Amino acid sequence: MSTAAPADPELAPVASSTASGSSEEVPPLKADPATSKPRNRNPLRFAALRWTALRLVALAVLLGAWQLVVVLEVWPRVLVPSPGEVWHQFILASTVHDGVRGYGDHLLIEHLAVSLRRIGIGVGYAVVFGVPLGVAIGAVRPVAVVLEPAVTFLRTLPPLAYLSLLVIWFGIDESPKIWLLVIAAMPPIAASTAAAVRGVPGDLVEAAKALGAGRLPLLGGVVLPSALPEILTGIRIAVGVAYTSVVAAETINGVPGIGGMIRDAQRYNQTSVVIVGIIAIGLSGIVLDALMKALERVLVPWRGRA
Amino acid sequence: MPPADSSTTAATEARAAHAVVLDRITVRYGDARRGRRGRAPVTAVSDVSLTLDRGEFVVLVGPSGCGKTTLLRIVAGFERPAEGTATTHGEAPTPGRGTGVVFQQPRLFPWRTVGGNLAFALARHGVPRDARAARTAELLSQVGLSGMEHRRTWELSGGQQQRVAIARALAGEPELLLLDEPFAALDALTREHLQEEVRTLASRTGTTVLFVTHSAEEAILLGSRVLVMAAGPGRIVEEIAVPLPREPTTDVAALRGTAEFARLRGELAASLRNTATS
Repeated sequence: MSTAAPADPELAPVASSTASGSSEEVPPLKADPATSKPRNRNPLRFAALRWTALRLVALAVLLGAWQLVVVLEVWPRVLVPSPGEVWHQFILASTVHDGVRGYGDHLLIEHLAVSLRRIGIGVGYAVVFGVPLGVAIGAVRPVAVVLEPAVTFLRTLPPLAYLSLLVIWFGIDESPKIWLLVIAAMPPIAASTAAAVRGVPGDLVEAAKALGAGRLPLLGGVVLPSALPEILTGIRIAVGVAYTSVVAAETINGVPGIGGMIRDAQRYNQTSVVIVGIIAIGLSGIVLDALMKALERVLVPWRGRA
Repeated sequence: MPPADSSTTAATEARAAHAVVLDRITVRYGDARRGRRGRAPVTAVSDVSLTLDRGEFVVLVGPSGCGKTTLLRIVAGFERPAEGTATTHGEAPTPGRGTGVVFQQPRLFPWRTVGGNLAFALARHGVPRDARAARTAELLSQVGLSGMEHRRTWELSGGQQQRVAIARALAGEPELLLLDEPFAALDALTREHLQEEVRTLASRTGTTVLFVTHSAEEAILLGSRVLVMAAGPGRIVEEIAVPLPREPTTDVAALRGTAEFARLRGELAASLRNTATS
């Protein structure tokens, strides 16, 4: 270990943690001017790997605990199915078996796709109406005075509270579901857009005016781009809200749809199907959030740098 | 009424002959009209008159709080005086019309590239889309940044960013250029380079320049005329003519080493010390 001594102090935690496993992997981390670049990159990549490993371990622990609870029969099987049963249910829901197509005549992926489509349309409308609304609230004082409380009012309402009203107004087909998602997704977009428009740096507005920018170039060339990072954050939050609302939206006549699937499974006490649905929503949510973050990096590369 | 009319016209013409005319300007902050907040109005600038001829390079120098930036902002059209009148080229100052402004911070748009920042300015001045690329290249070469069109603004050094800001201010071919301590945030070496380049640029193009600084060295090096301001309330207390050569070919860097430059700078520094202690 004495050869590893010249390693940077900041690398020490990495080095010591790997030492327990295999000390042969430590040498590349040693301070060596000739290989300074890989030396700087390796610990990072190594750390990322370490965190991934930690996640996998945590997941394994969770599954183990779950299995243990089932084996010990702490709760009846019908309430807490085993991971294996859930996996089996996942396979059943994802395939055509004995002439039965997935769950409720639709594959899991189809349920999910229908729900994602609803979320997409709902958030799409929410962006189309929420961004201009937010700009108006942020830029025009009388509009803010009238509409800002309305936006806050909507934002605090749980979607189930207005679902009944939407069903009375729009029936039980597609439109009340879309409406619910729009109403749920619009307030965060409008609110963050308004905040972003208010927060546009006065320095840049002045610079644009000094270049001869009138109202429209100012809006399109300074206010909107400067607000874009926060608008995107608002949209990301809105997608999250739409995700949490989609099950509510699909409470009534929701099949196909992941929320409808969960709802039906609950009615027949098919706990493992409910859990499959929950995991499907959660995982697709993680993927979508990562995509949104990637989109942010592409659209606003200057974020945090200027 | 004809006589009154003709005299007004004569006054307007007299003003149009100058690049900038400030006539008995007083600026107050927090006065009664702005709302009763219980704060006594502060007079930022009191009774300042100032005339810039076309092609002049005038430097306002003074301690912080003497109102030099306020005066520049009035000439830029960002603020209106409580009393007195301001005109640039015979008209009330309007931001973006015939006047370019460079601020202490570059204030570039980070969502646009270097070229995009210049294109924004060119578009505002009616340069057609297909002519912008050539004009952008020209502007960048003027500030020594040829070929940097596609760079991101935040990738540039502070000095390069300020060069882009200068190029952007020049995009509309302004007759009047206002610079508000543009080099204060730069390192000494970059500052010296840019001082020399701006001086040469101004003498080459004949642009009228109003330059604000608190540095005696910068004031003497750049200005053909230096106005010393004092605070409380802001006013002009002294005017120093700078008879250093101002040809486009003048070696500005060499000027720093001349005895005449040293003498003038010493004189101004002493004058600044006096205004600060008085």
